[in-house]
Amino acid sequence: MPGITYFDLRHVTGQITHIDIDNGVFESAGTTFFNKAVLRVISNTGWGILQIDNYQPQTGKKFDELLQEACKLSAITQEQVSLGNVPRGVLTVPAMKEDPRSVSIEEKSAILSEIEKGAIHPSVVNRRANYIERVEQVEFSDSSGNEYAYEMCRSGFNVLAVASRNGNTQMGYEREHSIHGFNLRHHQDLGKKAADIAVALLDAKAAHGGKMKAILDSELAGVFAHEAVGHASEGDLIQEGNSVLKGKTGLKIGNEMLTIVDDPSIPEFGFDPVDAEGVAVCRTEIIKNGIINAFLHNRESLAAVGNGIPGHARAMPGEPPLVRMSNTFIESGDSTDHEIFEECKNGIFLNGSRGGQVDPGRGVFQFNAEYGYLVVNGECTDMVRDVSLSGEILTTLHNIALCGNNRVMSPGYCGKGGQSVPVSDGAPTILLCDAVVGGSGMD
Amino acid sequence: MRWWAAVEWIDQILREGKKSVDEVEVFYVQGRSVSADLKQKKINLASASVDCGLGIRTIHQGRIGSSSTNDPVHWKECLDAAIASGHLATRLPWGGLPGAQDVSQTPLTFDPSMKVEPASALILLEQMLSGAEEHTADVTAGSAGLSTATVTLANSNGLHYTDSHTGVSLSLEAIHGQSTGYEFDHSSFFSKVDPFHVGERATFYAHESAGGKDVPTGDYEILLSPLAYAELLGSVFIPALNGRNVHAGRSRFAQSLGESVADPLLSMYDDPLLPGADGSVSWDAEGMPTHRIDFIRDGVLEAFAYDLKTAYRYEKTSTASAVRGGYGGSPGIGHHNFIVDGKRSRVTDERVVYVHGVVGAHTANPMSGEFSVELSNAFWMEGGEFQEPIRSAMLSGNVFSLHNEIIGLSHESRVIGSLILPSVKINKQRIIGK
Repeated sequence: MPGITYFDLRHVTGQITHIDIDNGVFESAGTTFFNKAVLRVISNTGWGILQIDNYQPQTGKKFDELLQEACKLSAITQEQVSLGNVPRGVLTVPAMKEDPRSVSIEEKSAILSEIEKGAIHPSVVNRRANYIERVEQVEFSDSSGNEYAYEMCRSGFNVLAVASRNGNTQMGYEREHSIHGFNLRHHQDLGKKAADIAVALLDAKAAHGGKMKAILDSELAGVFAHEAVGHASEGDLIQEGNSVLKGKTGLKIGNEMLTIVDDPSIPEFGFDPVDAEGVAVCRTEIIKNGIINAFLHNRESLAAVGNGIPGHARAMPGEPPLVRMSNTFIESGDSTDHEIFEECKNGIFLNGSRGGQVDPGRGVFQFNAEYGYLVVNGECTDMVRDVSLSGEILTTLHNIALCGNNRVMSPGYCGKGGQSVPVSDGAPTILLCDAVVGGSGMD
Repeated sequence: MRWWAAVEWIDQILREGKKSVDEVEVFYVQGRSVSADLKQKKINLASASVDCGLGIRTIHQGRIGSSSTNDPVHWKECLDAAIASGHLATRLPWGGLPGAQDVSQTPLTFDPSMKVEPASALILLEQMLSGAEEHTADVTAGSAGLSTATVTLANSNGLHYTDSHTGVSLSLEAIHGQSTGYEFDHSSFFSKVDPFHVGERATFYAHESAGGKDVPTGDYEILLSPLAYAELLGSVFIPALNGRNVHAGRSRFAQSLGESVADPLLSMYDDPLLPGADGSVSWDAEGMPTHRIDFIRDGVLEAFAYDLKTAYRYEKTSTASAVRGGYGGSPGIGHHNFIVDGKRSRVTDERVVYVHGVVGAHTANPMSGEFSVELSNAFWMEGGEFQEPIRSAMLSGNVFSLHNEIIGLSHESRVIGSLILPSVKINKQRIIGK
């Protein structure tokens, strides 16, 4: 078609099954269906994009009409978009140990109910458990003749316990999400764990704000890597000039043992067999031995910026792909937990994550722990609650003094541009010196 | 899908569903939108979407089922899934869906002059870029979008309402050195957004925040902008007014009805019929006629928000607070136009730390209200003027207790999503310097 230099179509159909139990009551449970497509065209200058609900595959004249429609949109674009040359290939989706679709919703409900009942405790005033299972059939084709199709199933659950005493209300929250199949079985203990944390937090103190040594557990250190480095290395932000890492390739940003990676190819919750532009996925070492090494790219940012690796375009069904993280982690070092606590001596040990946020242009990030303990003479002592940390991208990584030898990945979701995609973050236990801890505690 | 066609199969769903269950409710939305995005100062992409979605809710002997699809042709599958989902739900007290009532069907948030076309987005982007020229900073990204949608709600008790909405939204991001600025605007009415102002503010904040100085840790009087206040209010305080959270034990206010929960200066209410406001609607997502709800009057907690399900369950009355985030799932409890009001005063005369935005408000503890967030575009302010910018610091506190420390509300309010808020001046809040 005249004027069109490229097009691609990503069509996703699927179903979502959910169960919601609130204080023993089955609030809702059932299945919903979706069918969404996104057609992208580059015509003369920039992108024309059609987002189509309930897409019925078209060929010939009818498909040409859709291309024309997308072309018309691109008429107002001004930027000349180029696409980088990229490797192709599709990985096999890991086989599931037990396909959730083979388990009846009645059985799922019964198991989830056991997890929820695990949170029963005299001080717990509310228990809530959710199960979510999302099956997606993805089909992709582009004007260069690339085609692929795959099916992915992600499933998992959350359990929340709320404890209350004398007007003090606290919560414990546990979750497990997986690409490896049905994962509700044998997790009854997580309801109890959520309740135990909520109840323990009733007696925890508010943290004192200020600079101190902080030990971050695997989950929180993973979120730290995601917020402090991951977003700022996204090629679209570099292209826009909205990242402090722009033009900093080769700069030493942390000590030699520090390597931070994003890898969509590993079988964790952020796994993609191929990216949303049909590009082969592979390991990208964002920080290698303390030095800024490679940015995360889609085809457009690869061509515009370079200094990085493509295969990081991801999208919700029916949405245009953006440069996103997938499985982001700090590589293990060689320190034992004992050595880390010895080296910390006095500080704070922070566990779990309530999420974080970054302003990549300003280079400032914030993230929050679920709970923590004061460390005195290398030992965990009093429990503390509501602890946030903030830092600056270009300086904070220098403060990672030790990396443990025990990397663990934790599943979650990441939001950007109104789209939420599944990710995992991970790290070993790390020791952070001069951490800026936010807390309202007073002497 | 033409409208008459939609009506035809909505009636089919209601008739078919009634064969198996006591009551059926159908929610159908169809709409289209157009948007265009800037990369720096050039338009990089333009997109359009055509959306449709069908949500079905069934109620049988107190068991509520639901399902949704964006493929209405296959409504039968969706209806079957909704009925099956009801079999799993726990039986709860239920007093019935509303029938048709004398409710205005005149759309409150529809602008017939809204042109949902790429050319409209182009005009908005050009005007934003023009505003951005007012200060020295580089534009990094921006967006402008327009949308229109028609919503139909029908149930087996004879209710059949339709409403139409339009929307326009725009935003711009800018950077000056390592200092960023962001501004946005949105409305149901095209003439009510000010793209030049959005562009001007984005580069203003980027430029003015450069060269900031640190502040020592301590307690300060602060002035939260409507934007910063909205982030804290929306993630912690407003969910505590949700009747379901209250009765489930997930609200700090569960035992506080009739008590003082904020400074007497402060009132909070939902006004669903406010002319020109984005969230205005004559009937809620279950078809109940909307009305004003006074949650907090002069600092005293007077009401919680209820939908039908929660009201029947706890022997309360629906406050017509049912909302839908989209067509999927069941409606939940929300608000339409949430307003913080009270006696207004000059809040920038004396020296105060002005906080334009915060980073990480969603990590606040929704139960206890504790938070620690990073400040963004913070300044010393005095005599109504921005003074020295503050480079970087954290603000720590408790969203609930800070409402007892509010000492002033600005004369102007601003619309942030479905919230209409003034700037709030707060006594003695802990700032952690670096």
